[in-house]
Order: sequence, then structure tokens, then C-alpha cells
Amino acid sequence: MGLATSLLDQLINGLTVGMVYVLLAAGLSVIFGVMDVINFAHGELFALGAYFAFAVVGTSLGAGTGFWAALVLAPLGVAVAGAAVERFTVRPLYGRDPLYHILLTFGLVLIFTDAIELVWGPQSLPFGPPPSLAGTVTVLGYTNSLYSYFVIAVGGLMALAAYLVLTETRFGLIVRAGSMDREMVRHLGIDIDSYYTLVFAFGSLLAAFGGIVLAGRQGVDPAMGNRVIIPAFVIVVLGGLGSFRGAVVGGLGVGIIQTLTRTYKPSLLGVTLDLEGLVVFLLMIGVLLVRPQGLFGNPEWHDPSGGGDLLTGAGSGVLEQRLRSGLGVALLAALLVAPLGIGLAYSSYEVNTLLVTAMIWALFALSLDFVMGYAGLVSLGHVLFYGLGAYTMALTVTRFVESMWIALVLAVIVGGVVAWGVGYLSIRVSGVYFSMITLGFAELAHQLTFTLSGITNGENGIYSGFDPTYWPLAAARVGELNWREVHAFYYVVVVLVAGSYLVARQLMRAPFGSVLQSIRESEQRATFVGYDTTAYKRRAFVVSGGLAGLAGGLAAVHLGGVSPEFLFWLKSGEVIVMTILGGMGTLYGPMLGAGVFVGLEEVLKNSALVGEQWQGVLGVVFVLFVIFVPRGLVALPARFEQLLSERAGGGGGTPAATPQDEGAPEGGTD
Amino acid sequence: MPENHGQETSDERRIDRRRVLKTAGAGTLAGVSGLAGCLEGLGGGTTATEGGGGGTITYGVLNPISGAYKGLGPGQRNGSKLAIKQLQNDDDFEYDIEAVYKDTGTSSETATQVATEAVDKDGANFLVGAISSSVAGALNGFAQENEVIYNPGGAAVPLTGEQCNEWVFRAETNTAQIAEAVAGYTVNNLGSNVWFHIANYAYGTSVLDRTEARMKQESADYSRAGLTKSKLGASNYDSYISEISNSDADVVVLGMTGGDLITFVKQAVSKGLNEEVTLVSPTMTFAVVLGALGADAYGTYGGVRYIPSLSTGDNPSFVEAYKDEFDGAVPDNFARVGYQSIMMTAKGVQEAGSVDPATVKDTLPGMEMSTIFGTNQFRECDHQAMNPTWMGKIVEPDSGDVGTVETVTKLSGEEALSNLPCSETGCSM
Repeated sequence: MGLATSLLDQLINGLTVGMVYVLLAAGLSVIFGVMDVINFAHGELFALGAYFAFAVVGTSLGAGTGFWAALVLAPLGVAVAGAAVERFTVRPLYGRDPLYHILLTFGLVLIFTDAIELVWGPQSLPFGPPPSLAGTVTVLGYTNSLYSYFVIAVGGLMALAAYLVLTETRFGLIVRAGSMDREMVRHLGIDIDSYYTLVFAFGSLLAAFGGIVLAGRQGVDPAMGNRVIIPAFVIVVLGGLGSFRGAVVGGLGVGIIQTLTRTYKPSLLGVTLDLEGLVVFLLMIGVLLVRPQGLFGNPEWHDPSGGGDLLTGAGSGVLEQRLRSGLGVALLAALLVAPLGIGLAYSSYEVNTLLVTAMIWALFALSLDFVMGYAGLVSLGHVLFYGLGAYTMALTVTRFVESMWIALVLAVIVGGVVAWGVGYLSIRVSGVYFSMITLGFAELAHQLTFTLSGITNGENGIYSGFDPTYWPLAAARVGELNWREVHAFYYVVVVLVAGSYLVARQLMRAPFGSVLQSIRESEQRATFVGYDTTAYKRRAFVVSGGLAGLAGGLAAVHLGGVSPEFLFWLKSGEVIVMTILGGMGTLYGPMLGAGVFVGLEEVLKNSALVGEQWQGVLGVVFVLFVIFVPRGLVALPARFEQLLSERAGGGGGTPAATPQDEGAPEGGTD
Repeated sequence: MPENHGQETSDERRIDRRRVLKTAGAGTLAGVSGLAGCLEGLGGGTTATEGGGGGTITYGVLNPISGAYKGLGPGQRNGSKLAIKQLQNDDDFEYDIEAVYKDTGTSSETATQVATEAVDKDGANFLVGAISSSVAGALNGFAQENEVIYNPGGAAVPLTGEQCNEWVFRAETNTAQIAEAVAGYTVNNLGSNVWFHIANYAYGTSVLDRTEARMKQESADYSRAGLTKSKLGASNYDSYISEISNSDADVVVLGMTGGDLITFVKQAVSKGLNEEVTLVSPTMTFAVVLGALGADAYGTYGGVRYIPSLSTGDNPSFVEAYKDEFDGAVPDNFARVGYQSIMMTAKGVQEAGSVDPATVKDTLPGMEMSTIFGTNQFRECDHQAMNPTWMGKIVEPDSGDVGTVETVTKLSGEEALSNLPCSETGCSM
């Protein structure tokens, strides 16, 4: 009886959280299936539902009736919000590569999170089930929480209702058809675009409902959206992009697996295997390798490499080659002289903390541009190499030899080797599946830092005892070798980052670079011409991984240690933003983007006007960039030129805000 | 005009050259002397922390205002703010004191970054704060490297144990001191088959180690019913609650704090666990926790590091001053730590006669002073403040629904540290 009860307990637990996942994943899957939009902000809509419910309950309706009213009103409110988001931000991006949706929705995440914090504050707020649903209930001698049963029941009802809408109504019919073949639906005379708003609203409604229901168990807090978005993506991938049934099976499955792995830890050869968190990602990676369309997906429905081109900043600069080189040299000179100005125009912080941070991110962004801007591989998990580089640095210095140089070399090697392995597996799949699988690997590594806490020290990270030296070049410890406030480490970073750029540029000028570009423009064509595109992509990935590993190693030295946050998925998002902000496909563009990002963040944080809500403002900046300047900062001069000539030249035609992705990609790197 | 142009031009040119050389010479002299002045400040010149004289204390107040501990951060910050204000207005305190405030998140990475900002940019020579012991641990290392004094707000023993260093002085009560109060009472009065559930990080591990060790010593009947660990910041504890419910544990000791503890207890009560076992947590009595749990907390037990109703030492006047400053709000443990850290360190500055952290760090250890808890000191061997501790029971209040803490045992400063003698801390400075 004991074992059966505990198993039943865990099953109910799994189904409870699984139902919430179903609601979340169903909306996400339908949105992707029909609209080809990867909605990172789905978690925020989920959280917004919970907050709206909190607001409703806070009115005179109170906790009892308020809860039931909230279940109806809040999802409707979020549906409206979702519709507005679609109409004003997503719609301008249709036809573009899904990467831009990721970017846009990533910016929306920042905006929503800050907006929530602005209105309700950063603290978690109490929100509980109504008195009628509190407490336990005993059925046939088996006791469990009444609210859990409620969640399962109402979640199931809601899923059933959604299913009926999709299968029994005309709206549902069009949605399902659009999910299979959008073009055909258009040819049949149905304006599917106008349905998109409704689809987005529908998905938002489901997510909001899930948010309210979950909040009843754990209260509301601004991070609740971030916590569920990755599991939601995993479920959508497992179940199949665009498949409602897949979302249901995936959601319940993941919920149960998560709960069971938390409780039951099998032992193999005397070692207890803590699989919590790992199983889910291993499943996702496995599914992507074996059956990319997911358990219930249909490969015909969705072309993973469909969508528009990746818009690079290459060739769109007005600046001449020589002028650009001149600017580069000037920038390098400025960086070399900067520390001398400490105390005169600025303090040590701006140079030794801010500039170093910017340069390290620039190196990270450079590594990403290598694969994304040139080979066209959108890696959502690039933080994997960065984080591993950082851990390599920390572990080498604390356990083997305290030399920073040796550890950096190891970090590069580890980054490259892991990139080879991950690349070998991931490059088999393309487009959005590739992005998902890289995300899966990064999350796996993130989880492993907790699981292998014997090595990584888990949550605490590796900080004490981490004191690298300059051996064998000098006996001093990093941080001790300085003349007044001019730190030797600053110059180490400048030299390594500038050197990496030059190495990367050299690689790109070689035939290797041209082949990569041709792969980005049209992989099929490149294959027909006779190139082994897989091998080239893999090589690019290895170089990229090495560079990212170097960045991670430097970051660990800079921050005095490493902790699991170095592998947090948000960092992958940030570096993608930097790359696009600067203008990918140029090598120097993303580095510039990194500098601007770090600088902007600093300015916003310290400005009295923005202060606390700087992330939201940053989000607004990204959203504007993605919609209006997708080719990045390096393309701004060309954009201005184009706008000016259009105003001077052809009178009638008003240039729409849509970017010129139809135009043939300009040739050549810089 | 054109005919004379050539000659005039060459004359002009010659004159110009001479004039140029003259002015160049004078200019260079002026330039060099000016440059010499610049060179003085080049590359940063003298750093803020060097330099003697009267001196200013710049306290870097680093609190978690976002992240998993954001509910606890503001209290800590307010306590520090009050201390700074009181010291500024205190005529007997001979030094200037000011503060800069930073948000650590609940992230070691952010914490070290903002600490760097405080020290490098704002000239901080003292640091106080953090609540997560993982974050505090990172700052311990930072303080040592940058030679500034740091008062951690984390409670895990290693902060003044294996990770100790001469720059770190802790006013917060550590898990061993609390375990002393909690362990004995629990195993003797509440049940001897104990399940431990902890958040898997420095603090949680410390609670497990200390409390279990103490319980084993206190009672031969002690047995561990089970151990489960969750991730810091987790939000779903159902599976653990079910496991505990299906075991034969009498008592559950929860090694977590803040949002984690609140969510766990809520979910446990929702599943009826509190009717099967007694819930005990060293941090159950925190104001934030009690406020969030309401009636769910009745009947649970907790360790007490501080409650405003204490009548020890300066506490009554501290509570009054806090209420005046913050619109009637009552200080919690974290406010107490934010306040006590700065006040005790300031007394060290006064005694040392210098704001230089290098001097103060040698004066503070073992120095007796009067504090909120009465006569107190940072123990010489590990710099841990010798705070008293209590065991408390949460009962239904006379009015409202936030539980009231009833203390059931008290241990003095010496008693609380009796099980952590200098030889066993693992600290070597």
C-alpha cells in the first residue's frame, strides 16, 4: 500500500504541473505551427495572466469570488494584450527568418518583466486558491490536496475546450489548415493573415489561464515566466511544432517525468543517478536527432529552414575599406591608451570593469557571428562554450596549475572540442531544429553544474581559492600586476580580443570564409557546386566554440570565479541581441554591438529617469532595432543614405518600414 | 601685391619660422609643466583607500533587491541606512560616514560586479550585505583581495569557518548558533525521527550538518528519517512533500529561507502535511515568512536570531528609532544585521583611531562593546559575533492573522557557540 500510495502521490503531482505545461505549450505550439513565430515572450503572457488575476482578487471581490472572476477576466485581458503585441510588433516581421521573431520576443520579455515589476514591484506576492478549494480531500482512504485535483480537472477541461475549438469550429479549421500549408489556404481565398491576431490571442489566453492556475499554488512573482519558458519549448519540440495533441502528451509527460526523477533516483553500480532536469533535455535532444518533427508532428507541415534570409550587415556600409581600417586602428589605439586617463576623466571602474566586460562580450559576440553571420547557423545555446570555458578556467586554476595562460589555452581547447561534438550531432538538423538542439545542450550543461556539484561546487560556484597567476611569464597573481590603476590584465584582454578578431578575419578572407557565406546564402547551391557543407559548418562551429571558450575563461578571471549562472540561457539571448544589434556577418559589427549594449546598459542603469526599469528600456531599443534596423548598427549609414536618396529621388513611393530582405545579399565581407 | 609677393612671402616665411620656434619653445615649457601635473594623476594616481588623515568611511551596502531573496533585501538595507544616519548625527563619532547602495541580485556574479563598482568607482572601504551564503562566500574572497572589511549577511558556518579571512566580520548569527537552540529542543520535545529538506546551497548544507550533528549529541534516540534537496529558487515541492508524508518522520527540519520556505510551507499545508509532522525551520520566525504564511504558520517552530520584542541591550531604542525612521515599520532580523554590522564595525574604527580597514581589522577581534544584544564581541578566532539565540513557537495572534513568536528557550552568546569551539571552525587566518 505504501509504495502504491507514494507512486499515486507523485503521479498526481506530475499531472498537476503537467496540466499547467499543457496549457502553456498548446498555445506556443499553435502559434508556431500557424504563424512560424517562436514566441519567447509566451512565459511573460503566462505571468501576466497570474498578475491580472492578482489584481482582480485584490478588488472588492475578494479571494473567493475574485478567484473565479479572475479565471474568466484575466485570460481575456491577456488575450487582448497578446493581440496588441501581434498587431504592432510581430506583424511587421512576417516572412523573416524565425531568428528575428526570437529576437523580437526576447526584447518583449525584457519589456514585460520590467513592466510587471514597475506596476506590482519585484517582490513575490501572495496568491492562493479560494477558500472553497483549500485543504485536502480524502477519497477511498487516499488523501491529497483539493487544489491539485482542481488544477488537473480544470486544466483538462480547458484543453478539451481548446481542442474542440480547433476541430469543430471554422476558425479551428482554418488554423489547422494554415498550420499545414499556409500558401494553399491563401490560394483558396482565405486571408489567413487576419487570423493571425486571433491565433496569437488564443495562445495567450491559454497561457494566461495556466498562469492563474499555477499561481494558486506558488504565488506570483516577476520571474515566474522565465522559469517556465524553457520547459515549454522542450515540450513543444517533443510533441511536435504545431501539434496540439503533441503539446498535451508532451506537457503531461514532462510534468510526470520531472516529478518522478525528483523523487526516484536509481542507482547504477552503487552510484546514485540524480537525473532531475537532465532527462527532459536528453529527451529533447534525442527526439531532435531521431525524429525532428516531434512525436506527433508532421514533417510536411513545416519547413524548418523556411522563412526569410538572415539579414547581415555585410556590404551595406558606406564607409570605404580604408576608412574602416583607419577607424579600427584608431579604436585600438584609444583602447591601448585608455587606462592612462584613469583619475583624470574617469575612474578605474570605467576602464577596468566596464571596458573589460565590453571586450569580453565582444569576443563572445565575435564567436557567434562566425557561425551565425557567416554559416547561417542560429545557435541558441552558445553560452554552452562560454560557460564551459569559464569552468575550465576555474577548475584548472583551483585544482591543477594556477597559471592563467595554461587555463586559457585549455578553455579554448575545451570549447573547440565540445563544439566539435555538439556540432557533429546538431548540424544534421537545420533551421529552427538546430537552434533548439543547441539550446538543449546548453541547458543540459547548466543542469549538470548542479548535478555534478562534487566537481563544480553546485550553486555556490567556485570563488574561494581562485587566484590565477601570470606564470610562466611573470610570478605575480592576476590583479597584483599593475602600475597604479593601470592593470596588466586589461592589456591581456585587449591583445587577446584584438588578436582573435584578426585571426577570425583572416579565416574569413580565405576561401574558407567564402564557402561559409555561400552556405548561408544557399546551402543547396553550395552542395551542388561540390562543397561538403557539413564539414565546413562543423569547422566553423569548432573555431566559434574555441573563441567562445576563450571569452568564458577571461570572464571567469574578470569576475573572480564561476557559478552556474555562467550557463544561464538568458546569456545566449543577450549575445544574439548584441550580434544583431551590431550587424552580423561583418565580424566587427557584433563587437561594436557588444560595446553599445554594455554601454547602454550602464548609462540606463545610472540614469535617474530610467534607473530600475533599464531592462525594459533596453527591450524597447531591441524591438525597434529588430523591426526597423535589422541589419544592425553598421548598416545605419547605408540606411540613412537610402532614406535620404529616396526622399530626394522618387517622389511618390513611400518606403514601408519593411526591410529589404528581398534584395539580393550584397557580396563580400569587409 | 603680385610683384613683391615672392620676396614678401619668403620674408614672411622666415619671420614665421622664427616666431614659430620661439612660441614653440615657450609652449613646450608650459606644456611639459602642465603635463607633469597630468602625469601625477595618470593611471589613477593614489587610490581612495590609501591616504591617511581623518578619513571618510564609505560603506558599500550590497543587498538582494532582485532575485530569490528580494523579499529580505530591503529590510537589511533599511537597517544599514538607519545606522549610517545615526552615526552621521552622532557628535561623539569622530569620522565622516557615507554609503553607496547596490543590488546583488541573488547572484555571485552580480554581487562581485557591484562590489567592484562600489570599491573602484565609489571608493568604498567597507562592505556589508548579501543574504545568500553562496553570494556572501564570493564576497568574502573579494574583500580579501581588495583589502576592505566585509560584514556578511549570510548564515552558513563556513563564512567564518573554512572561508574565513581577517577582513571578514560577521554580525549575523550562524547556523551552528541557531542549531544549538533548535536541535536540542526539537529532538527532545518534538520528535526524534527527523526528516531534513534543504535547498542545495551553502546555507542549506550548513543547516543540515550543524543541526544533525547537534541532535545526535543531544539524544541517543535520534534517527534520520530521510533527506531531500531542492534547487535554490525552486517553486514546486509537491514531490518532496509526498515523500515526507509517506515516511514515518515525526519532524521535518527545513534548511531554506525566503521565498523557498514560504512556498514549501504553503504547499505542505495545502497537502495536509502539517497535520502529520511538525514543521521546524531555523528561519521560520522571519517577519517576511510569517507575513506571507499567515495562518499556515501556526503550530510550526523556528529558530530565532532576532525578534523586535527582545528586551536585551540597546534593542528597545533601536526598535523605536527604526519605527520613527520607516513610518512605523518594525525591524526584522535582516534589518538588525544591517544595523548591527555597521554599528559594531564603527565602534572598531573609533577604537582604532583610523578608517583604514587594515588597521581596523586588527582592532576589532575580541573587542567588547555594547550592542542590541547587550555586551557582545566578534570572537577573536573567527570574527563571529557572539549573539544569543532562541527557539520559538509560532502561535495564533490576538489580532490579525500573522503568527506571533513565543520563545521557548534561550541560549546566551557563549552557550550558543559552545558547540563550535575555535579549534573546530576550520578557520585559519
